[in-house]
Amino acid sequence: MNKNKEKLLAKRYSSEKRFQFLGKSAIFMALLFLAFFIFKIFSTGYTAFQKTWLIVPVNFDAETMYLDTNPSKEDLEDADYFEISLQSMFNLDKNANEKQQNELKKMVSYFFEREIKQELINDPSLLGKTKDIYITASDDLDQVFKGNYPRDLPEKQRRVTDYQLKIFDQLVEQGKVESKFNLSFFTYPDSREAELAGIASSFMGSIFSILVCLAIAFPVAVLAAIYLEEFAPKNRFTDFIEVNINNLAAVPSIVFGLLGLGILLAVFQLPRSTPLVGGITLSLMTLPTIIIACRASLKAVPPSIREAALAMGASRMQTTMHHTVPLSMPGTLSGTIIGLAQALGETAPLILIGMVAFVNTIPGSPMDPAASLPVQIYIWAESAERGFVEKVSACIMVLLGFLIVMNLFAQIIRHKFEKKWS
Amino acid sequence: MKKNGVNMIKISAKNVDVFYGKKQALFNINLEIEENQVTALIGPSGCGKSTFLRCLNRMNDVIDICNVQGEIVINDFNINDKGCDVVRLREKIGMVFQKPNPFPKTLYENISYGPTIHGMAQSKQEMDEIVETSLKKAALWEEVKDRLHEPGTGLSGGQQQRLCIARAISVQPEVILMDEPCSALDPIATAQIEELIDELKKEHTIIIVTHSMAQAARVSQNTGFFHLGELIEHGSTDKIFKNPENNKTQDYITGRFG
Ligand SMILES: Nc1ncnc2c1ncn2[C@@H]1O[C@H](COP(=O)(O)OP(=O)(O)OP(=O)(O)O)[C@@H](O)[C@H]1O
Ligand SMILES: [Mg+2]
Repeated sequence: MNKNKEKLLAKRYSSEKRFQFLGKSAIFMALLFLAFFIFKIFSTGYTAFQKTWLIVPVNFDAETMYLDTNPSKEDLEDADYFEISLQSMFNLDKNANEKQQNELKKMVSYFFEREIKQELINDPSLLGKTKDIYITASDDLDQVFKGNYPRDLPEKQRRVTDYQLKIFDQLVEQGKVESKFNLSFFTYPDSREAELAGIASSFMGSIFSILVCLAIAFPVAVLAAIYLEEFAPKNRFTDFIEVNINNLAAVPSIVFGLLGLGILLAVFQLPRSTPLVGGITLSLMTLPTIIIACRASLKAVPPSIREAALAMGASRMQTTMHHTVPLSMPGTLSGTIIGLAQALGETAPLILIGMVAFVNTIPGSPMDPAASLPVQIYIWAESAERGFVEKVSACIMVLLGFLIVMNLFAQIIRHKFEKKWS
Repeated sequence: MKKNGVNMIKISAKNVDVFYGKKQALFNINLEIEENQVTALIGPSGCGKSTFLRCLNRMNDVIDICNVQGEIVINDFNINDKGCDVVRLREKIGMVFQKPNPFPKTLYENISYGPTIHGMAQSKQEMDEIVETSLKKAALWEEVKDRLHEPGTGLSGGQQQRLCIARAISVQPEVILMDEPCSALDPIATAQIEELIDELKKEHTIIIVTHSMAQAARVSQNTGFFHLGELIEHGSTDKIFKNPENNKTQDYITGRFG
């Protein structure tokens, strides 16, 4: 009898141990995946935050630029920089033949003319002098310098020629190649050239989309939730609405994209590819998430609080606005943030409403065409150039950073409210 | 207040029936409550004491399926009339619940809430005064005067219940309804509240639901005994406890059932 009991006890303990072991290994697995994922992203992405520059002497010769010795600002704007830009590249190898000159030109980004122009406009006294100027290297050389480029491939399979590599190595030896923080990754819009591509357009696009989404979804969802939870009679009709809100939350996001395409673009003729349309589409997706979160946190407010307020002579409206809603706010806000985070990472509906178009301008308002961060990741991941590989990871890092900041923000708000209310 | 040696009637319930959906919870209740007296409602669990109490400030309105019929006249006015404004009614009829339920706000905000929504204070000073007198009347002032701006949920159970009483009297109600106000409290806190009730009856009419015969005997002047949704017997506490007319009352009071 006693023995049996002991056996049973031992069994119970061992089953608990087994369970704990399984639980711990599950957590371990999850952490392992996470660590692997983060390691992969960081190790491929961190180089995107650096950019390679060639330091090239440029002769700002007034004559070549068709300028007189004392040009006005407009003259500087209109001057011809092409010749001097080309010449400064050709000067890297005085003996280059025509084909080699062409290769020399391709060692820098096609922006080099503009970079040289900017330099002179910033400092007009350079006119007639020669100065070393930082010029963005081509994306292939950028990758070579970062060590991401397989130099040992046969020349035919490389986009960098042997000649270019030779000149580049010479420059490196002379200390004329420098790696600096890649500010343009954050300030430039997308580009076909990897060395010039930045996330400014998609970042602003995401911000605008999220703001539009928040501005629409939050008030509508909170009002709907408060009405349904605190005021609406409980009958078949409201049950029906509740079921359908839950259904809405389960609808695949691409369906909302089709809705945006069919209604916002086709019927209301809103401007295509804009964060306005993207935000409205995303708000349809976020709406049920916020409604459900808000209703759940309203339900969690103890009825005794409502009774206390009502018994003090507060009207239903006052009870709701003074007590129930403030108490439910932390939950509502965290639900909102979760909904927005989902919306932030959403790609499919935005592709459908045209936010996948190539946009090389930075949007100044929700009405301007833009991409969004996840769509940018998608666009770059599709590109063949090596220079975009690191950009994909870097963009993912920015997106994750964005999400972390949002969550932090939610935590802070939550914390503040909770301190106040309990 | 007495008129010709008889207490004035503050509330009179006439033929009150209450239904929860199809189920009838109260049957034809006729009860008169005397002004500035403590009336205790006793009876076994589920007999409808809380239901009756909640009729008096129309708290049953909150429950969708609840349907109250009959007349409840307070100050010559039937509160079940369509024209009755529940907000005004609840300003006049305060309530204290079984479980202390302070707002999760500061002590000060707890007390000032009622006067604020009813526009009873013109200035911060007036509000401060209301808060102080309410807390003093609820015998809580000395304990909390230094932490008025701390959360009310940080008090002990007994203190919380006195806070709820202070909150209820902050709007100077004519009647205070108490639903088992001491059931979550220890004997010392209970004694404090009972003392308080005795004090409060000078200015307010009090109706208290209780499961403790001893408590009913200690604090009340009148008692009503409920059983299975019916008011079996009511009268002065002395008479009900010493010399009840009905056998059921006798059995309940002597602890034979319930
Ligand atoms: N919200 C409700 N919905 C349906 N029925 C209810 C509801 N509240 C109370 N009842 C029913 O009404 C009857 C009276 O309940 P009530 O709460 O008034 O009893 P009580 O005398 O206060 O009991 P206790 O001493 O346990 O508090 C009970 O049969 C109860 O089941
Ligand atoms: Mg009860």
